[in-house]
Amino acid sequence: MGKVAEIVPKAIAANILGYLHINTDIVSSLENPQYAFDESRIQYNAGEILKAFESMPFHNYEKVIGILDLDLFVPIFSYVFGEARQAGKYALVSLYRLQKNLDGSTPSTSLFLERAAKVALHELGHLFNLIHCEDENCLMHFSGGLQDLDNASFYFCRYCSTYFRDALSIDRTKGKNTRPERDS
Amino acid sequence: MGNKISIMIVDDELIVRESFLHWFEKLGHKVETAASGHEALEKLEKSFFDLLFVDIKMPKMNGIELLGKVKEEYPETIVIIITAYGSIDTAVNAMKMGASDYLLKPFKPEQLTLVMEKVAHQKRLISEYEYMKGRLDRITHFDNIIGQSAVMKEIFELIPKVAQSDSSVLILGKTGTGKELIAKAVHSKSKQANRPFVAINCGAMPDTLLESELFGYQKGAFTGATHSRKGILEVVSGGTLFLDEVGEISPKMQVDLLRVLEEKKMTRLGDREPIDLDFRLISSTSRDLEKEVSEGRFREDFYYRINVIMVHVSPLKERKEDIPLLIQHFLDKYSHETTKKVNHISRDASDLLKAYDWPGNVRELENAIERAVVLSKSRTLTSEDFSFLHPSSIRPTGRRTLREIEKEHINFILNDCGWNVTKASGILGINRVTLHKMIKRYQLKRP
Repeated sequence: MGKVAEIVPKAIAANILGYLHINTDIVSSLENPQYAFDESRIQYNAGEILKAFESMPFHNYEKVIGILDLDLFVPIFSYVFGEARQAGKYALVSLYRLQKNLDGSTPSTSLFLERAAKVALHELGHLFNLIHCEDENCLMHFSGGLQDLDNASFYFCRYCSTYFRDALSIDRTKGKNTRPERDS
Repeated sequence: MGNKISIMIVDDELIVRESFLHWFEKLGHKVETAASGHEALEKLEKSFFDLLFVDIKMPKMNGIELLGKVKEEYPETIVIIITAYGSIDTAVNAMKMGASDYLLKPFKPEQLTLVMEKVAHQKRLISEYEYMKGRLDRITHFDNIIGQSAVMKEIFELIPKVAQSDSSVLILGKTGTGKELIAKAVHSKSKQANRPFVAINCGAMPDTLLESELFGYQKGAFTGATHSRKGILEVVSGGTLFLDEVGEISPKMQVDLLRVLEEKKMTRLGDREPIDLDFRLISSTSRDLEKEVSEGRFREDFYYRINVIMVHVSPLKERKEDIPLLIQHFLDKYSHETTKKVNHISRDASDLLKAYDWPGNVRELENAIERAVVLSKSRTLTSEDFSFLHPSSIRPTGRRTLREIEKEHINFILNDCGWNVTKASGILGINRVTLHKMIKRYQLKRP
């Protein structure tokens, strides 16, 4: 959504395929979600965007991840890197706070893409009903800030991997291919 | 946080409630929401919550008022205050009133994580405290005799005095009034406290068995005596022997025991060698022994021997002011034992229990509360949880004798249970042996 470099969704899709063996399509970009802009906070309300997603034509997809370069918030938090409804269909990844380091410097492209992929994999976990994990090395462990995110490795712990595998096999036995057809 | 906990979010803004709800769902906690302080209190009455997030600014009942009520009624629930209208004064006030922490919204996600870590630590401390308190209660409440009525206060004063002497004690009282607890209290405060306390229910065993239990036997004393066995009178040496339902023992056994008490000696069955004895005797009965003596069913000399000091325990219906204290004691006990957080009782339920006659006395009250706690789906017991109590015992009883009422009640419960004695005795709060004796005494018959 908005101005997102083409390489970002590609990198995220590659990581989803690499770590979770889920094929992914990249659909055409959507316009900036002005409807979700909160003037008092000068940020975008993640909940409003997720609600708007529900009325959009993503019928052929099991899970949808929206990527934005906008600063997202939920009412209780001052910001979020990403947002997803537990066991839901839609998730968001905000690049806004990933493209600057804590000291204000700009991260390398590879570090920036790594951060985006980690947030996407984490939010996708929630869409498959995984909850926050106590294993600090696991991608499903909650990352409060950039430092936590950078310290996390591309790794799902034994329990989260098993849970993911089960969730995916259930989806497949239901006849719902996790690799959906491209939207017309 | 290691264990998943139950959380309630109290905020009048739907969007805030939803944000918290979605967040905590990701952590795997059990989450409920309430849009007002009143709704929160209603939910607290029904279920236990480990943690409450309470918004300060809400219409009707604000967060600080709710915090006060929660800390008064449910002190074990941890409360975190959240507000967009933060001020140092409000924060200090909230913390003074028992809030564990204070969050200004919007906050950074990692701040909530830190708060949750603090909550986990506090919860661990509370669990440890409750565990230690439970252990301490078991040590300090050894007597387990609860009461604030004048008659019970008299007993509390009497116990230490009686304990200092070696005289025989006779405890009189209806079944379930706690006679054995008083006997144990006397023993625990006596100089024999570190010696054995042995209780024997004289009404529960036939004469021959009681004889061999008390006196023991030598190998070959009778068919089946393949080895020698010490009797309880020997085992209890230096301690206290508690003869429960002493009014049930046969005249022959009364003679044998009288001799033991006078001579402080006995011989095992099948043996000739006398054994020196040293024990303190406490007896109890639910019978009117004076009447039994005057009608020739109980030996007068034995009666006076066991009745040097008499303690009379009133039935529960004659000391109803003890009921609230007992209710709280048993609620705490079973809430702790069953680990169900059922530790409140509604006013109507409390009134019902106070109005009930309790033919099975404290034991019946204890059983009723245990049953209600086990089956309750809410943390507050209501009158519906005690619907099993027979209404006729709550109605005014008119000018009838206690025996008539007791007989009618036992008959009702037996019929209600299809004459299943085990089930009926459970409801009546008495043991099966006592119930069998009562059936015989009142000549009750299956319809």
